[in-house]
Amino acid sequence: MTGAQAVVAALEREGVETIFGYPGGAIMPLYDALYEHPVRHILVRHEAAAAFAASGYARTSGRTGVCCATSGPGATNLVTGLLDAMMDSVPLVAITGQVRSELMGTDGFQEADVCAITQAVTKRNMLVDHVDRIGETIAEAFALARAGRPGPVLVDIPNDVLKAQTDVTAAAMKPFARSGAGEPRVSDAAVRDAVARIRSARRPVAIIGGGVRAGAVDLYRMFVAMLGLPHTATINGLGAAAPGDPSYLGMLGMHGLKAANKAVQRADLILALGMRFDDRVTGKPDRFAREAVVVHADIDATEFNKIISADVALHGDLCHTLHALIDELAHGHVPRFDDWSAEARLLGGSLPSDRVGEGVLSATDALDRFFAALPPDAIITTDVGQHQMWAAQRARPAHPRKYATSAGLGAMGFGFPAAIGAAYANPGTPVYAIVGDGGFQMSLPELATLRRYDVPAKVVLIDNQNLGMVRQWQELFFSQRYSATNLADNPDFVAIARAYGIDAYAISEPSGADETIARFVASRGPALLHCACHPTENVWPMIPAGMTVDDLMEARA
Amino acid sequence: MTCELTLRDVRSVARIVNLAHRFNCRCTHVTANAGATVSARFAFDGAELALTRLRAQIDRIVAYETVPS
Repeated sequence: MTGAQAVVAALEREGVETIFGYPGGAIMPLYDALYEHPVRHILVRHEAAAAFAASGYARTSGRTGVCCATSGPGATNLVTGLLDAMMDSVPLVAITGQVRSELMGTDGFQEADVCAITQAVTKRNMLVDHVDRIGETIAEAFALARAGRPGPVLVDIPNDVLKAQTDVTAAAMKPFARSGAGEPRVSDAAVRDAVARIRSARRPVAIIGGGVRAGAVDLYRMFVAMLGLPHTATINGLGAAAPGDPSYLGMLGMHGLKAANKAVQRADLILALGMRFDDRVTGKPDRFAREAVVVHADIDATEFNKIISADVALHGDLCHTLHALIDELAHGHVPRFDDWSAEARLLGGSLPSDRVGEGVLSATDALDRFFAALPPDAIITTDVGQHQMWAAQRARPAHPRKYATSAGLGAMGFGFPAAIGAAYANPGTPVYAIVGDGGFQMSLPELATLRRYDVPAKVVLIDNQNLGMVRQWQELFFSQRYSATNLADNPDFVAIARAYGIDAYAISEPSGADETIARFVASRGPALLHCACHPTENVWPMIPAGMTVDDLMEARA
Repeated sequence: MTCELTLRDVRSVARIVNLAHRFNCRCTHVTANAGATVSARFAFDGAELALTRLRAQIDRIVAYETVPS
């Protein structure tokens, strides 16, 4: 077989059913091998969308997402998606075509030093220099993407290697050498220390992060229920709380819920589980949870003491860590924190509103109505900006794999293609992308992908004719000098969707909105809901960057 | 801060030197001998916290050179 056929055979061996990509010269042999092959290739309209779709696929399924692109510009267009996956610990394998071996280093047509470019945005990258090594290299890439803290791995394959013949059949591919140390397992001593801290605490709060996606949801719910523990989530931890759990305080951080932020600030013990103290969570680190002892659990030792010092570090897989904590607790006194939990809930109150007058559609009103109509098993993806925060404040996903957003990188253009990936990973599950008018215009061409494959993903477009989050900061911190944020000349999105053959619905006032949303939700196949919203609604509450919950704002000054 | 590393991929030497820049540290010394593995020795200058973070990231690069068994 050829090298390209070996690539496809290696993908099959990894159980890959769907890949997202865009063809070009150097990678043509791979596309030839994919022609009429059972591994399904989804043609996106920009390579960035291939990476985001693969990420949406991985985030909502737990399987490794796969994207591919040609050399040079094709590969460089993947870079943002790779970094997004790196920041949010998403297992991804990117396969890129490279120019022929003899052209490498000559500034050949569509040549880029992709391995150098992607070193900082991948766990590792590999250049395959011989056709016989394709199988083992791809197997290693998948294993590394999934191992420990998941992340992206890139495999770059020159055109001549893809075309070369190999005698190494799929069945006989050499396994790669697993030479690394085993996965870390939390130490018994650290677990005993952590449990002693829990038993002596009076106001503990758990913070769950994206690490819960490592199959730890049930154990996490068991752990917090066992203690009656008030708990909060980072944006990547949304969905970890059991539906209806009264001890759950909502998301914390810059636009988090007041009760969550205040409880963390008053806590005497923080149980930080699979989270990394992002600056959007901590604000000013030296004033974050000043009275608290910190127990930090993570699979990546790099995260310990990076931002917040850990009094107890629990290094290991979160499933095993939670299991060990529950076991240790069960062997002795199990404290209950119901009274503190009830007190913590009262620290907040309802979300502050920035709605304007009767008859005007606000974004939060549109989202409240949408969430009320949403099927309970739905998957939500979001883009980046105000709508992302409004959605995060309101959404109560049933599981972390029901919610995907570009959290760490905050990459606009993520939400829509991620929904396409989520739809392929979860056939039969309703998928909705909540996007803003800025980010949607970075991913508009994917309407063609929706149409071509009749992908059952729907788009909720919160159109406030502004790059709203930047506009909000300009209003609050840049003397209302609205530089390059006004999008009042937006195109007719409904007409654009219909031009692509996508059903489109529109709401522009509260009256009749519920009926239109109900028809949109009930419709079959791809669809767009255009929500023409008031342009100056702000996201509240807000803790300004580098500040603390003491500086929390709930309205304009 | 100095560190002596055994690396699998010689490109990691360059990656580590670049990483120092990201952490606003300065690589003041680097030597590497590449054979079946790479023996590398680095020295860095910088603020204490930055050096701590740099060292943690270097450990991660080394860890990502292999797949856990």
